[in-house]
This record gives sequence, C-alpha cells and structure tokens, in this order.
Amino acid sequence: MKKLTFSKKQLLIRCIELLFILIWVFPLLWMVITSLKLEEEVITRTFSFWPSHPTFANYIKAFTSTYIVNWMGNSFIVSLMAMLLTLIIDAPIAYAFAKIRFKGRNILFWAVMGGMMVPFQVLIVPLYLQFNSFGLINTLAAAYLPRIALPIGIFILKQFYEGIPSDLEEAAFIDGASRYRIFAQIILPLGQSAMATVIILSFINAWNDFLWPLIVINDTIKYTITVGIANFQGTHGTQYSLIMAGAAVASIPQIFFYIFFRKKIIAGIATSGMKG
Amino acid sequence: MIPGNKDTRDGIIFSLPFLVVYLAFMIYPLLSGLYISFFKWDILSTASFVGLDNYRTLFSDEKFYSSLWHTLQFVLMTTPTLLVAGFLMALAITGSSPWKGLMENVFFFPYIFSMTVVSTLWAWLMQKDWGIFNQVLINIGQNPVSWLTNERLAMWSVALTTLWWTAGFNMVLFGAGIKQIPKEIYESAAIDGATYIQSVRHITIPLVSSTTVLCLILQIIASFNVFGQVYVMTGGGPHGTTRVLVQYIYETGFKFFKMGYSAAMSYILFLIILMVSILQYTLLGRKENA
Repeated sequence: MKKLTFSKKQLLIRCIELLFILIWVFPLLWMVITSLKLEEEVITRTFSFWPSHPTFANYIKAFTSTYIVNWMGNSFIVSLMAMLLTLIIDAPIAYAFAKIRFKGRNILFWAVMGGMMVPFQVLIVPLYLQFNSFGLINTLAAAYLPRIALPIGIFILKQFYEGIPSDLEEAAFIDGASRYRIFAQIILPLGQSAMATVIILSFINAWNDFLWPLIVINDTIKYTITVGIANFQGTHGTQYSLIMAGAAVASIPQIFFYIFFRKKIIAGIATSGMKG
Repeated sequence: MIPGNKDTRDGIIFSLPFLVVYLAFMIYPLLSGLYISFFKWDILSTASFVGLDNYRTLFSDEKFYSSLWHTLQFVLMTTPTLLVAGFLMALAITGSSPWKGLMENVFFFPYIFSMTVVSTLWAWLMQKDWGIFNQVLINIGQNPVSWLTNERLAMWSVALTTLWWTAGFNMVLFGAGIKQIPKEIYESAAIDGATYIQSVRHITIPLVSSTTVLCLILQIIASFNVFGQVYVMTGGGPHGTTRVLVQYIYETGFKFFKMGYSAAMSYILFLIILMVSILQYTLLGRKENA
C-alpha cells in the first residue's frame, strides 16, 4: 500500500506547485472577472476583487456595438478555408512521399521541408505586392491563401502513412484498384487520426495569425478576430471590461478545441515541434 | 518522366497541387523579395534599380541597429527563462505529484490563446493606474510600477507575458523527452542512493539533451520573429525602446511604403534565422553521430 504521509520537503514542493497553478490560472480568471464588472467598478481607486454586481452588459455591448461578430465570422472563414485547402494539397503529396517511389522524391521532400526554415516575415513585402497585383488586397482570400502550404502538415501525414503496411496497398493493386482509389479508400480513412492533428494545427495556426491579416486587410468590418481585438485598445481606450469581454469571446473557439482535442494538440506539438 | 512508369507519373500527379501552391506563395515571393530588395519602390511610382544601396543604407541606419538590438535583448531574456521554466514544468508533470495532470493542463492552457488576446490581457494586468499588479502593490504599501511605460522595464514585461504564454509549449517537448527515458535507470540510481536532485542532474538533463537543443533553436527562432506582443502591449514604445526588427520591417514597408528597403531588412532577418537553423542541424547531427 502507498503511504499517505508526506515528508516536510514534499509538503513544501506541493505548496510551490499549487502556488504556480494559481499564478498560471489567475490571468485568465482575471479576464473573466473584469469582463463581468461594470466600467465604473474597473476604473476606480476603491479596489474590489469580485464584481459587486456581476453583469453580462459588456458581452452584450461587445456583440451589439462592435464588429466582433463579423470578426469571428471572418476568422472562421479564414481558418476553415486554410484548414480545408491545407488538407487537400498536403494529403496527396504526403502519400506520394510515403508510398510512391518516384524519381527525385528525396530532393523534393527536402526542398519542401526547407520551407519550414523561411520565416513568414520575409515574405510579407513580396506577398503583399503579389496580392496587390491580383487585386486581392482587402479580401479574406488574401488572408488564408499564403497560409495553406504547411510543410509541417506534410511531415506529420507522411510519418503516419509510412506506418500503414504496404500489404494492404499491394492487395488492392492485385485486385485492380488504381492509385486514386487506394488513396481515397484505404489511405485517407486509415490516416484519420494524423489528419485530425493537421486539421487542428492548421486551424489554430490560421485563427491566431496576426501580422499578415493586419497587413492585407484594411476595412474594420473585414478584420479577423486577432486584428480586431488588437484594435480594440485603440478604439475603446480605457473600456477595459469591454476589452476583456471581447478577448474572452475571441477565445471561445480555442477553448472548445482544447476541451475536445487536448490530446491531439499536445501530441501534434510533441511530434512536430511546431511553434506559433 | 519515363513513359509507362506509373510511379513517376503518380508521384508527380499527387505532388502537383501542393507544389503549385508552394511555388506561388513560397518560392516565388522568396525570390521576388530578393529582387525587390535591389529596388527603390513606394508601390505608387515605378521602381528604380539601386543595386546594393538598400543594404548599404541598412548598415548605417541607427533605427535598424536599435531594432536588431531590442530583438536580441528579447531573445536573451526569453530563451534561458523559457527553457528553464519549460524543463521544470516537465519535471513536475512527469514526477509523482498528485496533481500532475492538472499542472499539465494549467501550464499548457495559455499557449492555445491567440497572441492578441494574451497581449491585451497582460496589458490590462500591467495597466499603470488600475491594473491588478499595481493595485496589489499599492495595497501592500508599495509604489506602483510603470510596467509598460518604463524604458528599463517594458521589454521585461513583454518577456514575462511571453513566458506565461509559451512556457507550456516547451514543457510538452521536454515532457515527451523525459517520458522516453527508461524507468530502470532511475530505479537503479535510487538503489545506489542517488537523491532526486542527483538523478535529475546526472540522468534527466544529459538524456534530454537533444530535446534541449531542439527547444533552444525553436525558442531562438520564435523570439527573433517577435512582433505581436510588442506591437499590442507597447507599440514599440516608450521612445522606441521596444521596437523590434519585425516591427521595423512592417513599419518601413506598410507605413512608409519603402518596399525595397523593407525587403532588404527582412532578408537580413532571414539570414540570421538561417544561420540558427544550420547551427541546429550541425548540433543535432553531431549528437546523432556520436
């Protein structure tokens, strides 16, 4: 049986751990608490921790008198499109890298992976000029198109596809199936869990994107949520409880994602080392 | 392409959709950016070829040097702290704590929030007059601190925010590394009378060294690319003391419309990051060969 007695040292360590848990949770708690306070209660010399009259007024105001609904909608469109297009282009090439022995495969693979070394910031000026000449500035398409070539997605999918036994494919070949059918009916269904990782990473990546939408979108109503929230401070100055309500609303999708896909997100990071 | 060889044909067909996008939005802009960096161009008028002038200007541009220096400051502030914090967190979540599952969640959680949410939140926590940090300081009889408007403190405040935001990311990487160490090594060390600190020092740290190198490189690259936190929290102020390189690239290109100059600067940033990446491969490669 396990002993339930703690030594003094262990007790100290547990206390330190608890302290850090509280420190880490506090800012988010404070975001919610502030958002439930009235403006007068936030900007005051008489400090109170809990809201004396908890209110959703700031949330109502955020929804009715700001563009937050549009911004959320825009971010959804941008992230969904980025995610879908990423899958459409990443999955086939990952399959090719994993299972098809074609000439120049290795060189191509490294050329693609080399893209991970290019910081996006290097591309902003030429990309802006490119989209300017397409006439796509100030459109949502401009916000997601440069974000869909995700080499890390290829890497994750390729690793997974390589683990699918080739016997399955060979059996299908003998039965006269074409590559396309094998890909659509064997590889894609078997690779669902790796696909989920790529979906989540590309969605969160696109949702959190800031610099590029800041550059390429000019109209307030077309902002993505990250740009909108960053602009809040300029337009709503000292309305901190409103700003915090907006920040809380803007985080709902991520919280949802985290609750349902926690393991996938963490596994995705552990295998790919992707950093936002 | 060899006619009749289906593998080559299929390989090309399956690769094509990605390659088209990759060429259009990665390779082409990468090359055209280099090309643009040899021009003087404000979008409206026609570009004029100036050769290496942009690069020459850059090396005598005080603002460029100060931005580079601030970026370097941020790298130096965040890299060691985030590595140590991530490692300690990983130790905590792989140890014997009764709430290690809770800790894993709590420490990682901030990472999923977008940078702008995190930055507006911390700008509010650190707000000079009504932010909670200063409210607490005032209540315990201390002077309030100008977290974001004091030249000496502002970058530290941004670094602290970044620590809270992304330490959990390093924790996940270190955690995965620690979990791969066989339990038997610790057990036999414990039998030989090794203390916890000793086994961390002589077993854990040496055996996660490849993870450490990975974290180090990823952290340096991420910190070199810092922009959003600074942009939202301080706007580069006070008096430009937190203006970082990416912000200067952004302002040069999209506030002052000096496209060629902005592109030239971004190539210098690319060069720096490329060197760090190459360092990574040589360091990791040496590890694997040894």
